[in-house]
Amino acid sequence: MINIAAAMANLGKRVLLVDADPQCNLTSYLVDSEVVDNWLDESDGPNGTTIWSALKPFSDGMGNLLRIQPTERQEGVFLIPGDIQLSKFETDLTQIWVECFQRKLHGFKGVTAISEIVNNAATDNDIDFVFYDVGPNIGPLNRAILLDCDYFIVPAACDLFSVRALKTLGKSLHDWILDWQVISQLAPDNIYLLPGRPTFLGYILQKFRMYGGNITSEFSAYAARLEKTAYSDISVVLREIDKNLAKATLQNKLGQVKDFSNLVPLSQTQGEPFFNVAGGNATMKNEAKTEFRSIAKNIITLTQKDKGAS
Amino acid sequence: MKKVLGVKLLRKIDALTAYYVANRSLFNRSLINLEGYVKDSPTLNSLIHSTKFRTKEPDHLKDKLIRKAIKAAEQGQEFAITPENLFVVINDLAGYRILHLHTTQFQEIDVELKRIFAEEAWTIIEGPTARTWDDESREYFSSIGTTTLPHPNLYTSVHYVIQPNSKITCELQVRTLMEEVWGEVDHTINYPHKTDSVACKEQIKALARATSTCSRLVDSIFTSYRDYQTTSNLASSKTKKTPPKKR
Repeated sequence: MINIAAAMANLGKRVLLVDADPQCNLTSYLVDSEVVDNWLDESDGPNGTTIWSALKPFSDGMGNLLRIQPTERQEGVFLIPGDIQLSKFETDLTQIWVECFQRKLHGFKGVTAISEIVNNAATDNDIDFVFYDVGPNIGPLNRAILLDCDYFIVPAACDLFSVRALKTLGKSLHDWILDWQVISQLAPDNIYLLPGRPTFLGYILQKFRMYGGNITSEFSAYAARLEKTAYSDISVVLREIDKNLAKATLQNKLGQVKDFSNLVPLSQTQGEPFFNVAGGNATMKNEAKTEFRSIAKNIITLTQKDKGAS
Repeated sequence: MKKVLGVKLLRKIDALTAYYVANRSLFNRSLINLEGYVKDSPTLNSLIHSTKFRTKEPDHLKDKLIRKAIKAAEQGQEFAITPENLFVVINDLAGYRILHLHTTQFQEIDVELKRIFAEEAWTIIEGPTARTWDDESREYFSSIGTTTLPHPNLYTSVHYVIQPNSKITCELQVRTLMEEVWGEVDHTINYPHKTDSVACKEQIKALARATSTCSRLVDSIFTSYRDYQTTSNLASSKTKKTPPKKR
């Protein structure tokens, strides 16, 4: 995600990354651990800067969301840091969802809270694209986030788990979108609601090896299965609801990111995209730059709107 | 002369009915939400005997639309119901009913209902309107500021039309248990199609009078009971024999 965000920034777009995974991997990836620790220690207070800091007053029943400012990680790339305490809010979201069905105002406020926080930060910083980083699960937090997204992108590794995960994701999204349609139709007039129409933008193939310009045979079988599953278990399922939620084609691969072996640890320690790390193989860095630039361009062309999200 | 509706119009009515069926769960959900508010209110719980709710049977909607189409044709007007306005024009697709014991409880029920609707952001677009043919009953509703309407069939009930949002409407009825008896008998015999039996019509009219008398009697019993409680409390507090019972 940081590679795509950096590539987009290089293309002149302003990107906001939202770490919506209570594990905070994205934040830890981008920011020194001491700084992250400090943020997490202070996130309960009035000067907190994480996503939880913004949510806390609402979660405590003490009032409105706090308006937080994201940090600019590199030119054009902003970050709303994650927080372990986001998992508390995830617990609340289960009840909040029930309240939405009961048409309770507290429910609507709760389910749109993250959306509002992110919209505020995006407006304040003139953001073109918002990317949510989410944990690999189908819990109530990801439900609220995916229903806030205009688009979603699936990072798919060449393994059996990813093939299975696509199926689960497609089914869950289908149910969430339909539930949200009911909730929106019951909602009072003039209340802020999630858009509730996440469009499938495609998947990005990951974690495979190349040999002589081709994906090696052990991974190519999975790559073929992923292509099929992405179509049958996501595109087809979403198109049952609305033809515009996915394309009627097998070609949903936005790009492929091979195993850039030694660039990964360098990138992780430096908090830089693959193609900007100090050291590492120059050919590989160039390859990475070309691939991510192509993915970024694909996303920009496919969305042609102000806000995209993954 | 019997009017016949064209195939095109009948298809339109079928499509409207199908549209309702596809969205029926929204009405059901709204009623469940209403039930939740009512059951959560201690004030209403102390005043109400019971509640019931239902969404309209699709066949009954179809009948109603056909009747409306025939009426429009007779008056030389166009049948103007579309999927966009169906849920607002037909406002009894979701019906919620509150039953209580005696007439004068209505005032407190009304105050509490209005409080709930304000709190939960529901809009009252019509009512409360008391349909009543009895002079004394009309006098009571007028005295508490509730609009009254006569009803040719001797029907008695208070109606509200409420909206969770501008897309959906629900009908809310408040009536006494006595009125419910008459209403249920009348409904069973006369709905969806009115009976032609003169005897039944006559008896239902007579039942309305008996019901009104029973309602009046129940009201009177409660008035007497309140009066008795007040005077006996006054008497016991004067003599200071035993402390008054707390209720």
